[in-house]
Amino acid sequence: MNISGYSKTPADSTLKSSDRAKTFILPEKCFEKNIACTWRRGNTFTIYPRSQTVNKTPTNTIDNKILNIRQEILLFTSILRKLVNESNGTFLSLQKVAENAKNSDHQVEFLKLSRQYRSIVRVCIESLQEAADKETDNLEKNSLLSYITIFYSIECIWHLCEILFIDNIPGDIVLPFLLEWVRFHFPCHEQTAAQMLEACERGSEDHPEYWDTVVGMVVQGRIDVARALLKLHSSAELNEFKLIDNSLRTMPVYSVYGGVSSGEFTIVWKHWQAECRSKLTSQALTSQPNLELIMRLMVGEYTAFESVRRKYASWFDVLGGYVLFTRPWTRSRELAAAADACAALDGPHSQSHLDVVIRALLEGDLHQVIHEIQQMSDNGWFATHLTDILFHCGKLQILDKHQTDVTKRLRDSLILEYGSLLMDHKSLWSVGLSYMASCPPEGLRRAELLLEKIPIESEAKAMRIIAEAKKYELSGVVRTVCGCGCAARLAGGRAGGSLCWAARARCPRLCARAAHRVLRAYTAGVPLPAADLLLTAGPALLLDDALLFLGKYCDFHRLYKSKEFKNAAKLLISLITSKIAPEYFWETLLLDTLPLLESEEPVFSSTDTYEIMLCLELRAKYLEGEKAELLRLALVRNLARTALLDGEEE
Amino acid sequence: MPLDVQGTFVSQKINKIRWIPEDYVETKCFFTGSWDDEANSIKVWNFERINEDEDVEYPKQLSEYKVDGDITEIKFTDKNTIAASTSDGNVRLLEISSYNRQTPLREIFSWKKLHNFGGEQCSCTSLDTMEGDVATIGEDGNVNILSSRTGDISRTITGADSCSLHSICFLKHNEVITGNLRGHMKIWDLRSPNNKPAASFLLAGDELAATCIIHHPTQPHYILAGSESGSLAVWDLRINSFPASLLKAHAAGVTEMQFHPENPNKLLTSSISGELWDWNMEAMTKSTKTSENWMPLEDKNTMSVNSLMPPLHKPINTINCNKGRILCGADNEAIYLIKNFKY
Repeated sequence: MNISGYSKTPADSTLKSSDRAKTFILPEKCFEKNIACTWRRGNTFTIYPRSQTVNKTPTNTIDNKILNIRQEILLFTSILRKLVNESNGTFLSLQKVAENAKNSDHQVEFLKLSRQYRSIVRVCIESLQEAADKETDNLEKNSLLSYITIFYSIECIWHLCEILFIDNIPGDIVLPFLLEWVRFHFPCHEQTAAQMLEACERGSEDHPEYWDTVVGMVVQGRIDVARALLKLHSSAELNEFKLIDNSLRTMPVYSVYGGVSSGEFTIVWKHWQAECRSKLTSQALTSQPNLELIMRLMVGEYTAFESVRRKYASWFDVLGGYVLFTRPWTRSRELAAAADACAALDGPHSQSHLDVVIRALLEGDLHQVIHEIQQMSDNGWFATHLTDILFHCGKLQILDKHQTDVTKRLRDSLILEYGSLLMDHKSLWSVGLSYMASCPPEGLRRAELLLEKIPIESEAKAMRIIAEAKKYELSGVVRTVCGCGCAARLAGGRAGGSLCWAARARCPRLCARAAHRVLRAYTAGVPLPAADLLLTAGPALLLDDALLFLGKYCDFHRLYKSKEFKNAAKLLISLITSKIAPEYFWETLLLDTLPLLESEEPVFSSTDTYEIMLCLELRAKYLEGEKAELLRLALVRNLARTALLDGEEE
Repeated sequence: MPLDVQGTFVSQKINKIRWIPEDYVETKCFFTGSWDDEANSIKVWNFERINEDEDVEYPKQLSEYKVDGDITEIKFTDKNTIAASTSDGNVRLLEISSYNRQTPLREIFSWKKLHNFGGEQCSCTSLDTMEGDVATIGEDGNVNILSSRTGDISRTITGADSCSLHSICFLKHNEVITGNLRGHMKIWDLRSPNNKPAASFLLAGDELAATCIIHHPTQPHYILAGSESGSLAVWDLRINSFPASLLKAHAAGVTEMQFHPENPNKLLTSSISGELWDWNMEAMTKSTKTSENWMPLEDKNTMSVNSLMPPLHKPINTINCNKGRILCGADNEAIYLIKNFKY
């Protein structure tokens, strides 16, 4: 059977982009007429030709094929498996924190875990980058590069989300964090600035990117760097330069712990900006257009930002600067206006996916954010983990159209989806299981169904599945797996193994089945197997009568072989009188008394002999003819020699 | 220096991990054997420093030897040779070059389908080595003794157990102990021609598997067995029959145990519950002359247990220790290096 991924080429490129369905052409001839398809385990399905052409002549074989089709899962590539496993650890720690967080505030813990997630993503990007650098095959390289793009945007969105929803920002003054975010994810001109500062040469303006760098530093809010760069200009002694430097130096910076109330700060800030504006209107800077631009940015002039915007790849670059120079006291809930203004700098272009997500984030519309990140092709990793952490932080509230709170349902459904996806993988099933288990009760119900379907190749795997199932108290799975073990060994004719698994399952029905199989085989002449097991079985024997009988019968054989005839006889009598022997076994059981009856020393007492006689008469149909006669004779002879003996003993 | 734990994700569940011993320098290379994946392999790794001044070492893969089935056990037969068993019933003897660790492993001998159910596949669950001999066990309940010098099967105990065997340990050159799925332990005298155990006893009353057996390095009559239930049983074979003590240890099955090679008072155990413990077994060597109860359980001071790292969310399958450096491999597809372990 060949398992093929999505190697087929998209057939119809004229599909509307709104239509998410894709068409694939099946490559084989046998699929031209009637085909059928059926689901297999997990996200695999099988396509097979419905009309099977039956060929009389073996020479003319039409190759009927069965195609197994599965979705290619990005997360199952070896580099991303590290991400899956590592983030699973963080996810589970998060669940633990959340469990304990009910009575106290654990915002700091959540922030730590959120950072952990981000660092996992960062490590993942780095190893993808490393792999892409090494890769020589173009196709592979391209896919690696596309993964990198996906995870870059994940990192970027997660960071912003952390600032806006997970972190507890003092006073809710978001600006310093926003600037940090811009600097981290859109590091423009940073290197050039560092180079220039390191060289520390007067006349750096000869560098072709000098002015872009200075403006870039201002827009990123790195005022000190901008000032240092301006000092490297050969005409830094000019009045215009001094003017700008002075304005930059005196720019008020808000700090929650600065002892200034925000209202007070607003007044100081407005005053400063008015001063800057007056310098601008006084035409003091007209001789230096670049400096004028900086001043215009500083007073928050929209047209200035418009002219700067063209130099950057996206509007995110200027967002920090825009907030800094228009409303530095903006709270995180008020960012939407700034985002609108910055996005409008682009003009009415089509928005990229990242644009939409970031704007939704800044508007605080988490529903929209989650909706959008679900469209990312990372198999739901991001949506699942982000939703989960936001849910636990209590920052997520999503209402459906009837205004009922569906937040928990949304989180659960995402986790369940992600968990089932992982449970499909041969190695990652246990990771998937731990996700499922974090959404009780439905998750465990589903996990139960999926666990039972995991193929068991060895006992080690069976024992591991049992251990996991026990951890989540899925006793049904334990029983099923043990039952499978029992059945497989029974089919292979391995009595010991099947008895052992049946006892493990603690299932009387399975025990009975295995025990009957052994007893029937014995009546057909096969020696008793698994003596080592039966003689040491202990309480497990009590699960079922047939098993108990088998165990005791085995013990009888041991006693007989070690020539402890008295004890053997005693045991045999108790087996006969207890009436738990299966019907087909009576003949064997009765005949087993024969050698003991004929032994030199009498081992059965007269009472015992009567018991055997009674049994023989009651169950005459199991023992007939010559054998019965023989036994009767032996019984009578034994009775003859024991009747008096018993009297003596009394 | 404090313990230093450093994890690396390797995209494979690691079932066995083994340091490759070095004579005069710090060990750097190690083997890993993976399990429960689409394709499993034995890999050779080396710890490398990326920056000279930095103290962090990262494992780098040197070579890979692909196998069918899961790796169930890796043990050294001599300094550069390992015996490896797989879940498809095969046993291989592989050699690593002592000059260039990067050269692919060389197969010296291979016993195909050594354990089998006729035509059906059967897992070779574990093996042990002693002085060039290899003893293997499987789900078929057989014990095979192989010679790593000639490649012969020198002895087979057919039907050594009616269930599947899960752990084995050489007691002497001619004596092995096996443990099965029900925790039934049997001692086999390899010189005796009949397939009868020399002694047999039960690990515990719970009928759970004996997952690993080791003996004390300096006093080999002390046998330790780990159970699927997480308890640890200790026997003095001079008295036999009943465990001298049965310690309720881990929350779930014990996966591997190792006495520290330099200090026989230190025992390391790993568990399905994701725990990695270090036991101080001093009481064991100070064995009291009175034959029974050699380890007084009430005396808590003599038996101290430390956790070597915060519990993982997934089972730890294997540990291996060399001087102050401990390696462990886990089901979260990661390997961990613990440095500065005091022994």
